[in-house]
Amino acid sequence: MMESDDLVRDDLARSEAVAQEARRNARRIELVGTRSRAVEVGRSRLAAAAVMFGIAFLVIAGRLVDITLIEGPAEPRVAHSVASEPTVARADITDRNGVILATSLPTRSLYADPALILDPDNAADRLAAVLPELDPVDLRAKLAKRSRFVWIKRNLTPRQQAAVNALGVPGFAFVREERRVYPHGALTAHVVGFTGVDNRGLAGVERHFDQQLRSGPVTLSLDIRVQHIVRDALSKSVATFQAVGGSALVMDVRTGELLSMVSLPDFDPHEPARASDDQRFNRNTLGVYEMGSTFKVFTAAMALDAGVVPVNGGYDASEPLKVSRFTIRDYHAKNRWLSVPEILLYSSNIGAAKMAMAVGGERQQRFFDSLGLTRPLSVELSEIGNPMTPAKWREINVVTAAYGHGIAVTPLHLAAGVAAVVNGGELHPATLVKHETGVPVPGERVISAETSSLMRAMLRLVVAEGTGRKADAPGYYVGGKTGTAEKSVNGHYARKALISSFVGMFPSDNPRYLVLAMLDEPHGTKETFGYATGGWTAAPVVGEVVSRIGPMLGVVPRETGGEPEQTMLIKVRNDEAAH
Amino acid sequence: MASLRGWGFEREEISLLDKVKQLNFTLILLIVAIAAIGFAMLYSAANGDIDPWARRQMIRFAVGVGVMICVALVDIRVWLRGAYVIYGAALILLIAVEIIGEIGMGAQRWIDLGFFQLQPSELMKLALVIALARYFHALTLEDVRRPTVLIVPTLMVLTPAAMVLRQPDLGTAVMLMAGSGAVFFLAGVRMWKFAVVIGAGLAMIPVAWHVLEDYQKSRILTFLHPEADPLGAGYHILQSKIALGSGGVLGKGFLAGTQSHLNFLPEKQTDFIFTMLAEEFGLVGGLGLIGLYGLVLAYGFAIAVRSRNQFGRLLALGVTTTLFLYVFINIAMVTGLIPVVGVPLPLLSYGGTAMMTMLAGMGLIMGVYVHRDVMIRRHGAADDF
Repeated sequence: MMESDDLVRDDLARSEAVAQEARRNARRIELVGTRSRAVEVGRSRLAAAAVMFGIAFLVIAGRLVDITLIEGPAEPRVAHSVASEPTVARADITDRNGVILATSLPTRSLYADPALILDPDNAADRLAAVLPELDPVDLRAKLAKRSRFVWIKRNLTPRQQAAVNALGVPGFAFVREERRVYPHGALTAHVVGFTGVDNRGLAGVERHFDQQLRSGPVTLSLDIRVQHIVRDALSKSVATFQAVGGSALVMDVRTGELLSMVSLPDFDPHEPARASDDQRFNRNTLGVYEMGSTFKVFTAAMALDAGVVPVNGGYDASEPLKVSRFTIRDYHAKNRWLSVPEILLYSSNIGAAKMAMAVGGERQQRFFDSLGLTRPLSVELSEIGNPMTPAKWREINVVTAAYGHGIAVTPLHLAAGVAAVVNGGELHPATLVKHETGVPVPGERVISAETSSLMRAMLRLVVAEGTGRKADAPGYYVGGKTGTAEKSVNGHYARKALISSFVGMFPSDNPRYLVLAMLDEPHGTKETFGYATGGWTAAPVVGEVVSRIGPMLGVVPRETGGEPEQTMLIKVRNDEAAH
Repeated sequence: MASLRGWGFEREEISLLDKVKQLNFTLILLIVAIAAIGFAMLYSAANGDIDPWARRQMIRFAVGVGVMICVALVDIRVWLRGAYVIYGAALILLIAVEIIGEIGMGAQRWIDLGFFQLQPSELMKLALVIALARYFHALTLEDVRRPTVLIVPTLMVLTPAAMVLRQPDLGTAVMLMAGSGAVFFLAGVRMWKFAVVIGAGLAMIPVAWHVLEDYQKSRILTFLHPEADPLGAGYHILQSKIALGSGGVLGKGFLAGTQSHLNFLPEKQTDFIFTMLAEEFGLVGGLGLIGLYGLVLAYGFAIAVRSRNQFGRLLALGVTTTLFLYVFINIAMVTGLIPVVGVPLPLLSYGGTAMMTMLAGMGLIMGVYVHRDVMIRRHGAADDF
């Protein structure tokens, strides 16, 4: 179509204004000029665009120079922060000397995305071939699920991870996790505890300090060397006497720090699920027992401190004691008047009962309260047993409590109480956290220093000449008290099922450490002439522990033969009183 | 007979052989050289293996070169006549994938053609340039200066741009608008209008911020402070900068780029391939590639200048601008000059779509060159045959 045709058509239409017509004609005339102007504008704008693009290219080229040559020094900082070793989320637990008891290792956990797995049966079989502990049937079911995420196995070793990667099966992937490792295994299982798959503390110190371990390490009062010796001695004893279990602990009597705490049977903290309830049970803090004659330490201390009887005074134990409808007898009956030291020496129930009656129920209850025997422990564990005390403190309760029946506490209650009696009279709550060395720990006074001194001498006498002779360790002047209680089974005392214990301390003139051992249902052997009492079964454990840990803890053994002065004094008085 | 009409001289129909002779072989050589660098980098990205990327990329390139030459040989008036049809088809496809994408598989925005996936938004980049070139071809400079005339082409730009933005694909939307802007500019739209549009655009930024997706916001914030989250949102760009910096002047050598081979560098075979090149071949390699692209752009400009018809000139410049935007946005992105917007490096990045767009676009530019002396009248391409 031609320009003129357009004009003709426009003319024919006659619908446009004259002005428009004129403009159109004018434009036609100017066409050539307009075109050249358009080209000019086009060219100049083309040049402008070219310049702009050129500048833009120079900018990116300059940026490239800048980033490769000039910005260089900033690079290592970033590279470092990206490549730095990932830190573990849960801190270490160490013993008092810095030995690691629990630490975290970064690991990888395997999961599958079933949507990406082409052939679940084949994938399951191949995976089961490299991870034989997985059940192929279970695995197939997991991989055939319609979800996008299933856990296959937590905490793989690097070797296992490499094996899974080498399969080249799509749909498997790893998540970075960390695994808690306990280098000493069962040795510290009850104290340190364990964590679950999600690294949350489920037992022991791990649970008690769950939050704190997320921010920093925890140093315990434990000494792993002592712990090893205690467990060794206790487990030999448990085996020898075929006991169902046992517990033992070592406490610093001046601070309440626990250097060792062992409960048998124990378990592997890496596999807590495989352990039975009995294995996971911490007898020291969760087990609540009638402790038996070891309570006579408290009775004697209470009576002496209250001044109801002098140390050379005593009570008639020639006849069994009748209290309401009960008859109290002695196990090692002497059938004569017994001095206070003799009551401990021969573990007289009658004598202890009479001392307690002389003190009275109200004061006895207060004294037990002050020793912390009637309330739960404050030790840094979650496995804390509640003591069982008589609902109503009747005369019979006063009498039985005097020799450790009718009141049930944990072995750790007993240890803390006895420590207070022998350390000069101050109670320090039992703790698993290390104290600063050299800083004196304030305690709560429960008896006078003088009573404490007398008690130490009498306890030494028990080991030197009484029921606790097997607890002696040459040169350490061990003092202590035996305890043998019949286990209460279904409300009745079972004659053959005993809780045999010994609580000792050394050296008895200035005690540093308390050692407690307890055996659950020990059986007599030929060597013990069939006896399974505390003096025959638990006392030797204490003796062995003392002789082995003494040198390690810096307690110097002294020449044997000469007894500490105070003990000699009491012995003489005792002899006088007996005649 | 066409030669007898219009304003005097118009070239006769050119024979196919003449057209082939007229092809700009230097330009083709440049394109092949850039693509060859791409093959080498894809070979390196696969740790020295031709699979899975290099081989497929070569096949695509071979097909693409065929397409390019075919496009170049097609008479330019065919594109002029078909301009609105092509634009309409691209718009329909864009709407179609949007609807299919929403009904069906979520984010799928392409149509599978077997050997490559056609992304309507990529097709639209060329279709829009062709359509705008035709529109402005039909206008005189006086017409262009009437504001009302600009309403239609503005709508032609904003419609697909808005749809692409909704996908959401910020990179493509920016490219559509900036590429069109170049055509508007060259067509002679007055400078103050650009100033108004740019001013309005800047004023819209606070409003646009609320419209942006969270991930787009995070990209922009990351661009401003990549160190704020070195393992998260800032990871890409920080790793890219580390790789660029570690390359130095001469690079670490072919197949020896640690950042990329140890997989610190993400998307090394697609959007971040330039980083890998600069790590392995250093500043020299990076500047060399920018130089090659610069030469291709220079050819595009030269062809636009040589074109004696407005359509060809606008077309050549529009396509050249599109290529420029690809290269500039990609390199500026991996060097941390602008936020990460997901624009590939044409001819280098693995993937068929951008390569097809680029090669078809180069075909158009060559077609403009081949038909540089064809005179096309302002009104009606339809009856020029």
